[in-house]
Amino acid sequence: MALLGYFTHLGILVCIYAILAVSLNLALGFTGLLNLGHIAFFGIGAYVAALLGLAGLSPWIDIPLAVVIAALVGVILAIPTARLKGDYLALATLGFTFIISSVARNWTSLTRGALGLPGIPRLGSISVVLAFVAGFALLCFLVVVWISRSSLGRKLQAIRDDELAAQVLGTNTFLYKLIAMGISAAMAGLAGAWYAHYISFIDPSIFSIPDLILLIAMVVVGGLASVRGAFIGTVIILLLPEPLRFIGFPPTLIGPAREMLFALVLLLILLFRPRGILGKVDIS
Amino acid sequence: MSSIAAQLILNGVIAGAIYTLVASGFSLIYNVTKFMHFAHGAILAIGAYLFYAFFGLGWAVALPVSIILTSILGALTNFLVYRPLRKRKASSAVLLISSLAAMIFLNATLLAFWGADVKTLPHANPIFDVGIASITATQIAIVAVALLLLLGLTLLMKKTRLGKAMRALADNKDVAQTVGINPERIYTVAFLIGSALAAVAGILIGLEQNLNPVMGIQLVINGFAGAVIGGMTSVPGAILGSLLLGLVENIGIWWLPSGYKGAIAFALLFLFLLFRPQGILGKKQREA
Amino acid sequence: MMLDVRGMSKHFGGIYAVKDCTFSVKEGTITSIIGPNGAGKTTLFNLINGILVPDAGAIVFQDQVITGLKPFEIARAGISRTFQLAKVFKNLTVRDNLLLAKQATDTELQETLKKMHYARDLDAKAGDLSYGQQRLVELARATLLPHKLLLLDEPTAGVNPAVRKELATILRDLKKQGNTILLIEHDMDFVMGISDEIVVLNEGTVLAQGSPEAVQKNPRVLEAYLGK
Repeated sequence: MALLGYFTHLGILVCIYAILAVSLNLALGFTGLLNLGHIAFFGIGAYVAALLGLAGLSPWIDIPLAVVIAALVGVILAIPTARLKGDYLALATLGFTFIISSVARNWTSLTRGALGLPGIPRLGSISVVLAFVAGFALLCFLVVVWISRSSLGRKLQAIRDDELAAQVLGTNTFLYKLIAMGISAAMAGLAGAWYAHYISFIDPSIFSIPDLILLIAMVVVGGLASVRGAFIGTVIILLLPEPLRFIGFPPTLIGPAREMLFALVLLLILLFRPRGILGKVDIS
Repeated sequence: MSSIAAQLILNGVIAGAIYTLVASGFSLIYNVTKFMHFAHGAILAIGAYLFYAFFGLGWAVALPVSIILTSILGALTNFLVYRPLRKRKASSAVLLISSLAAMIFLNATLLAFWGADVKTLPHANPIFDVGIASITATQIAIVAVALLLLLGLTLLMKKTRLGKAMRALADNKDVAQTVGINPERIYTVAFLIGSALAAVAGILIGLEQNLNPVMGIQLVINGFAGAVIGGMTSVPGAILGSLLLGLVENIGIWWLPSGYKGAIAFALLFLFLLFRPQGILGKKQREA
Repeated sequence: MMLDVRGMSKHFGGIYAVKDCTFSVKEGTITSIIGPNGAGKTTLFNLINGILVPDAGAIVFQDQVITGLKPFEIARAGISRTFQLAKVFKNLTVRDNLLLAKQATDTELQETLKKMHYARDLDAKAGDLSYGQQRLVELARATLLPHKLLLLDEPTAGVNPAVRKELATILRDLKKQGNTILLIEHDMDFVMGISDEIVVLNEGTVLAQGSPEAVQKNPRVLEAYLGK
């Protein structure tokens, strides 16, 4: 029975992270936006859902609100950063993540700072949560697949491959970057809201840089601009370190070992198979 | 001027000195190799921890050993991670991602070996009065060392053949190669020097405050911010920017809750990236 | 007048790339801009296109002032462009490259490609094509975009003589179909053989504008090209 619970728990985490990976892929793999702020949208979604849920709102309201607010923040961040080039965009979005993290840590009257927010209402048994999260993961998957096959997806990929060429074909690349960031952030917010309602406790450590690298690893390993790849990448990266639990690894070392493992996997993929498993995009 | 104001300014200068050490190493590497070596922060932390590890053997041993080892580690990171990627024509964005991965990896090894608890380096640290403010021996050392190293770095860049080669590479890699400069070799030297500077910064911070596994991350952000604010393309720029940052941070917490101190760097970094990415002293990069 | 460039100036750090440049392009003609390297030709294109903002001067396109508009707005106004180094979307198929210019059926796309003497199929990934083929795809894409004026930056650069001959035919055909073409070129034979008007640019200003015969005999032009 405990084993079933363990697998269900893993299943929920896989679905939540899959939503994050698929949405990051939309911004990074499809549109070429090196957005290191993705984890900030996740955290914002979680905090909004948590705060509203703790204030008594029904999850039918606080989760959609979390999605909307995360999307708004994504668009607001995109507006000034849209004209930044690759690594400067990365630096600016990383800085954004740090700022949000700092706000979460210091605005104690709202967020209780490092103490975090415990007691976030759960939404049912663990199997119910799995069903919902799996459903949303499927929904996000289908949305991004639909985008990838539509003219919107074509425009986003054109922006990734050559923004100037896209512009001289009449595409308002600024607007499309906002759209990509908005949708990507909305999904991240959705993942965050469900995470909050599942784990029932969140604190500023949700804005973790290692988790951001984890997400990038998932997207790169699976293959940029491949939606199925993002799913596969999620499964591989999340489940890879799990066996460590069972071979008697000392608990204090599991965290660092996990991080070393996926950092290593990311580096190896970048070195030897930068397309990832299913990707069709050359990163250069 | 009130005593508190003077103290804050002094603290700002000291913080600026530390950030300058971080920023100068980072911007040296950036100017020569043209990408953002985020793992610099982890290298810095490892420098501090190595010093801690050898501390028992006395300063005369711990200092050079930890600096040399860290320097080699930095060059090794370049050799194992960045160099192969460069061979595969990776973009600077890919190199940035790889440096983040390297940072995570190195940070994790730190955690694995030394654990997450905070460590201190107990040492004699007399306090001196400087007019209406006070300064500790360690803080004097910080400013002195920073000044010496930066002087050395400037001399290196301006007067030596190595420095000229670095500046040539920073200016135009292809042209530099046509005059016989070997980029990979210069990159290695840049990483050796930059990582050594990081180690010194880490050791000084370890002495001044304490050691913790995430010390590198905040410092490297502050270092970047300093470099970006002052101007990534020049070493004097990194110095100016870092000093300004140190001052703004320390004077800023007069008004803001001290917890936001770290966010000041990010906020300034963000603003400069948006409105003046070339920094105060930097020149606007021409689009290719 | 299809295009009117008036008093265009642009400097970079004190050095003028384009200075007080004035010329015009008549509808339905092929006009070529020639000039020594560094004369400011591509900068001029970037100014017309909106990629660069001029320091002084105005650009009038079909009686509409387009100075200061963004590149995508200028594209939508009817100016289509190719670049010195062919800019295709490397990770997209040829079909997707073309669909970005215009929503069209495969048949229409195939026809356009045939006119360009493009040899491969729609499903090929643009990045896998040879450089010459990429150029043709880029040209096809530029003509598919609804436009009134085509700006072609060195269309023959880097292509072999056979493709070069094809390009001459392609451009003449485009002109017959009513296109107005403004191009930058270095290949004198190509230019003289195909142009209705020639604009000679030197050190950022217009040295002469006229028919190929007139320009070839212009002493100032000869001095600029041979005297240096």
